Amino acid sequence: MKTLIVEVVEPAKLAELVTVSKKFCDQPDVVGLGKGDIPGAYGKAYQTEETIGANLLPALAELVKSDGYEVVLFSATTTGSSLAGPLAARLQAAFISEVIAVDSDTEVSCPMYGGKVVAKYKLNAKPTILTIRRKYFEKAELEGTTPSEALEKVQTLISLLAEHEDKAEGVPLEDADIIVSGGRGVGAEENFAVLQELTTLFNESAVGASRGAVDEGWVQPSLQIGQTGKIVAPSIYLAIGISGASQHLAGIANAKCVVAVNKDEDANIFSRARFGVVEDYKKFIPSLINALKSEA
Amino acid sequence: MHVVVLGKVVPDYEVPSSDFELVNNRAHERYTRMIGLYDENAIELGVQIKDKFGAALTLVSYGTVDDIPVLRKGIAMGAEKLMIVLGVSNDPFIIASNLKLAIEKLGDVDLVLSGQQSADMDRGVVHSILAEMLNLPFIPQVSDVQVENGVYKLNQIVETGSRTLEISGKSVLSITSVPENVPRIPAVRAIFAAKKKPVEKLAEIDAVAMGVEEISVEIPKIESVCELLPAEDMDDTARLLLQKLREERYL
Repeated sequence: MKTLIVEVVEPAKLAELVTVSKKFCDQPDVVGLGKGDIPGAYGKAYQTEETIGANLLPALAELVKSDGYEVVLFSATTTGSSLAGPLAARLQAAFISEVIAVDSDTEVSCPMYGGKVVAKYKLNAKPTILTIRRKYFEKAELEGTTPSEALEKVQTLISLLAEHEDKAEGVPLEDADIIVSGGRGVGAEENFAVLQELTTLFNESAVGASRGAVDEGWVQPSLQIGQTGKIVAPSIYLAIGISGASQHLAGIANAKCVVAVNKDEDANIFSRARFGVVEDYKKFIPSLINALKSEA
Repeated sequence: MHVVVLGKVVPDYEVPSSDFELVNNRAHERYTRMIGLYDENAIELGVQIKDKFGAALTLVSYGTVDDIPVLRKGIAMGAEKLMIVLGVSNDPFIIASNLKLAIEKLGDVDLVLSGQQSADMDRGVVHSILAEMLNLPFIPQVSDVQVENGVYKLNQIVETGSRTLEISGKSVLSITSVPENVPRIPAVRAIFAAKKKPVEKLAEIDAVAMGVEEISVEIPKIESVCELLPAEDMDDTARLLLQKLREERYL
């Protein structure tokens, strides 16, 4: 099936979508959003620096129609969600969002009820539009780059006035091998300092948070992990003072080992954890820091 | 200026996985019904826009008459009017077509706000499809709206931080949660007053469904078995944890 990937020019996101595309075709085409060479080998590559969905919609809809694409793939990100729904409505497409499994070229699965349930759908219309949840598919090897031609007819309905990049120490959450994550049980913004200190003792580590901690204003929204935040897949996920709502667990479904520290022994997080410590984190984390320092 | 907020009534989204039960591929009816979590963020932002910029605020929903008592919370929070299209479809094209009906009936809508995704189907697609049906631009993950002379300045949350966008004219926005739009708790007087507000009910219209078919809905088995570490001496517990993480090659 003729397949088009639409994604910002970031190797990790493109690599996951290339893996998904192999379920539908041998070699997909791509629309790269943003600057820089497009990593990987594609049949055809188009590119624009525009990343605001509403500005891209007419150009993208015309491309899909005129070139006869049967499948269009996006990551389930802000950019992907800004384009996929309007494109589906314009083209009367079959559209499934937040896909976590592709069983065949006509059957896909996605979560429901905050990740407590998985629904499987048959795709009965063309084109098919899918947004793919991050970290559920292996990254394909992207060899070389593909020269691109400009995507025509991009409009400027919405203006970008400013961009603010959140400062975060350590590696990006999506790439972290060890994540120390805090929830409402952490109690205060300043208490995240001890979580930050703990991450400095691990390689490739980062601090994350639950939606509760973000809503309290203790950490910036870009650190939120969960169904509606970042989807992560670290080797170790240390959940500190996190109750374990299903929406949070949906964001760590692919973590290899969850360690839960919570003074409430009935907290739902223990149902997902490999190891648990039923204790106030203020007593346990300093001991863990000391143990790591003594090993150094 | 007229702002519409879309609200959907869903089963209690805080029910833990261990207690969750399906009947006919949907959540058991015994769970408490409530407004979706992000929809309440959208209502809160709508109320703030109403208070700051003098907008009219209408809550619009697609659902059943049983949803009306639940939706009255939106009135108690500050919406002035409730309109519901009566229907039971889960199809995003059908839901969006019927929400379009309600918005066009209101006639003078400048801004449509919606939670970033419902707490039952988890799709986050109806608002974006509705935007296209209304021929309006769709902007997701918005956390703040400022208005000046018909120009909207929006704060959008993206994966790496945020960005400020500007648009002249009408649009559909999906709203994400930030500390500034945590839903207010309505006053008791407002709750009682909301019960007396008339509700406009619209009959559903026929619409073309999306070309997808639900094959199965299942609760996945979680096979994780938690080993609780002894907690008498935290220094020992910490050392034991590191030892076990190494034994199982996670560290």
